[in-house]
Amino acid sequence: MSEILELLRQLITDPFGLLEALPVRQWITDAVNWVVSNFRDFFRSYLSPPVRGAMELIQTALEAIPPGLFLVGIFLIGWRAASWRVGLFSFIALALVGFMGVWNALVVTLSLVITAVLFCMLIGLPLGILCSRSDRFANAMRPILDIMQTTPPFVYLVPAVMLFGIGNVPGLIATIIFAMPPMIRLTNLGIRQVSTEYIEAAEAFGSTPRQILWKVQFPLALPTVMAGLNQTIMLALSMVVIAAIIGAGGLGLEVYAGLERLNIGQAFVGGIGIVLLAMVLDRITQGLGEKAPGKSK
Amino acid sequence: MIRAEGVTKIFGPAPETALPLLEAGKGKSEIQAETGQVVGVHDVSFSVEPGEVFVIMGLSGSGKSTLIRCINRLFEPTAGHIFFQHPDEGEVEITGLSDERLRMLRKHHMSMVFQNFALFPHRSVLDNVAYGLEVQGKARDERHRHAREMLEMVGLGDWGNAYPSELSGGMQQRVGLARGLATDASVLLMDEPFSALDPLIKVNMQQELKKIQQQLGRTILFITHDLDEAMRIGDHIAIMEEGEIIQLGTPEEILVNPRTEYVARFVEHADPTAVITAGTIAQPLDSQTFRTVSEADGLRFVAADDLPALHYGLDDQGRLQEARLNGQRLEIRSLDEALEREARGARREDLLMLCPHQTVLRQVLRGRTRTALPTLVTDAEGRVTGLIDELQLIRGILEKRGPSADSESLPVAEEASS
Repeated sequence: MSEILELLRQLITDPFGLLEALPVRQWITDAVNWVVSNFRDFFRSYLSPPVRGAMELIQTALEAIPPGLFLVGIFLIGWRAASWRVGLFSFIALALVGFMGVWNALVVTLSLVITAVLFCMLIGLPLGILCSRSDRFANAMRPILDIMQTTPPFVYLVPAVMLFGIGNVPGLIATIIFAMPPMIRLTNLGIRQVSTEYIEAAEAFGSTPRQILWKVQFPLALPTVMAGLNQTIMLALSMVVIAAIIGAGGLGLEVYAGLERLNIGQAFVGGIGIVLLAMVLDRITQGLGEKAPGKSK
Repeated sequence: MIRAEGVTKIFGPAPETALPLLEAGKGKSEIQAETGQVVGVHDVSFSVEPGEVFVIMGLSGSGKSTLIRCINRLFEPTAGHIFFQHPDEGEVEITGLSDERLRMLRKHHMSMVFQNFALFPHRSVLDNVAYGLEVQGKARDERHRHAREMLEMVGLGDWGNAYPSELSGGMQQRVGLARGLATDASVLLMDEPFSALDPLIKVNMQQELKKIQQQLGRTILFITHDLDEAMRIGDHIAIMEEGEIIQLGTPEEILVNPRTEYVARFVEHADPTAVITAGTIAQPLDSQTFRTVSEADGLRFVAADDLPALHYGLDDQGRLQEARLNGQRLEIRSLDEALEREARGARREDLLMLCPHQTVLRQVLRGRTRTALPTLVTDAEGRVTGLIDELQLIRGILEKRGPSADSESLPVAEEASS
């Protein structure tokens, strides 16, 4: 009798002590070790090269532009994409970063972000479109997207290093994973939000499902897709800083190095650079979203 | 052109469950309570002739929009068959087409105009009109040229580069109409196209649609909840209630002889003067109120009891050759001629008018402002078949019917004998 009472007491106060701790840690360690020992070569020889290649190409291209011309270019882009105000703001913001002496780091960060966003679009857009066409696929994607978005980045930095080594590539891979979900989610949402009256009209004229997608749904979803792109860029920027811990360069490295050496000034210069770059990219992509043709209603 | 047989559409996850209940004669709400399925259209059959405007009229929820979407299978009918007279292949059953062939049908033979226009906001007006041609795979130049012609026709030739949001509602629906016409489809489905427009613009658009339809000879299936609109543009009208067609006929048939209480309530406030024809309201010449008064020169003179001084001289075919009032010869003219020639406001006492039996009441009324004498109604061969005097006009407007449809005794005769 007293034994039963004791069991009841323990069930209430300490139910987890009844069993040995679930060895999740061990499982994950084993799983990661297994993946690393079996697939390291695969990852390094098939995943790294395109990412590294794209990054180097973009970086080389951006570095080849003389800073003065770069600033004029950013003014023109801001002006065409949004307004002359945004152009002027972009010009001043990036010039400020240059005057703070971190122009080279800025160009590296921009290359990292552009590379990551490029891959996010390349993978995220088709996945988003697939989600919009199949409820089943969308339901299967949802938990994966949740994991990608909410797992603290520090957690998967270590396996990334184990798989890809130190440097820009693991940082980029982590950034791509972290920044992709909004691209997928908002592409899906944008296409699903297109009013049935337009789809009905397209159907009534004998459009194929593919024609409906590319002539009606996607163009009308563009403002939402652009909002997703904007989010992806912002997330990529924030992740690029964290990726400095595993050897990615640029403004993030300035922040990280500054912190390590307790050089507050250096850290802040890097931080301000990132904020300014974020604002510039945000204004420009928002401008693009507002000018997207689907908005003209 | 289009023939529907027993078309039924039930919405819900298990439409089959509602079919036996429908056959058992249960109502819409009963079925919904019992099975959770919603009956949209039930056992509807009709046929549309080539080149006519066939109007489906009913209040919201009567299933008319569902029915029109069953015809191009935007909604898949639950039961029934729909046939289309294909220009090359003869009669084709739409309800049995594969996806690919259905798309071909929609691309080339059947287009649609929507209540809320459904213009693509991201395309210019020209590209909206050209959409169907683009889907057909026409080259850019060709489709733009054709789309421009269509825009000219609906009076928006200068607006090709504008975007739909820059246009007023009436203009947007002109674009919608141009888009529907551009594919050269022989059948145009129009789902309450003018309901969202202001009344004045609406009437304009109706007139224009009639004009364009006569010009291009398309077959039009037109949905509306507005009886006056239905009467104005329809060659045939089908009235729907609770997913079923409760009366089908020409505007005049429906107005003169509403089959149910529901239809009667509908037509109560309709304007009869543009719909009811002279043949319907005329006092027939063979009724007891006319008698032969004399014969001379091969002509037979007849007179009505209530106007014995007026003698109509008919030849052996029954055509009017001469008319006399108190022995005085009267001038005889056709109604159209009289309206054209006679001065407004001068009401003559010596002019007798003839009008064909399909002349609408309004026209006869107009004629009466030019002369004080009755109007004679003729058939296709020009034979006099009846007479319209003030009494017939008033009864036509008030009762929306003539003496032939009247079950009560003939008031003309009563008054004449009293």
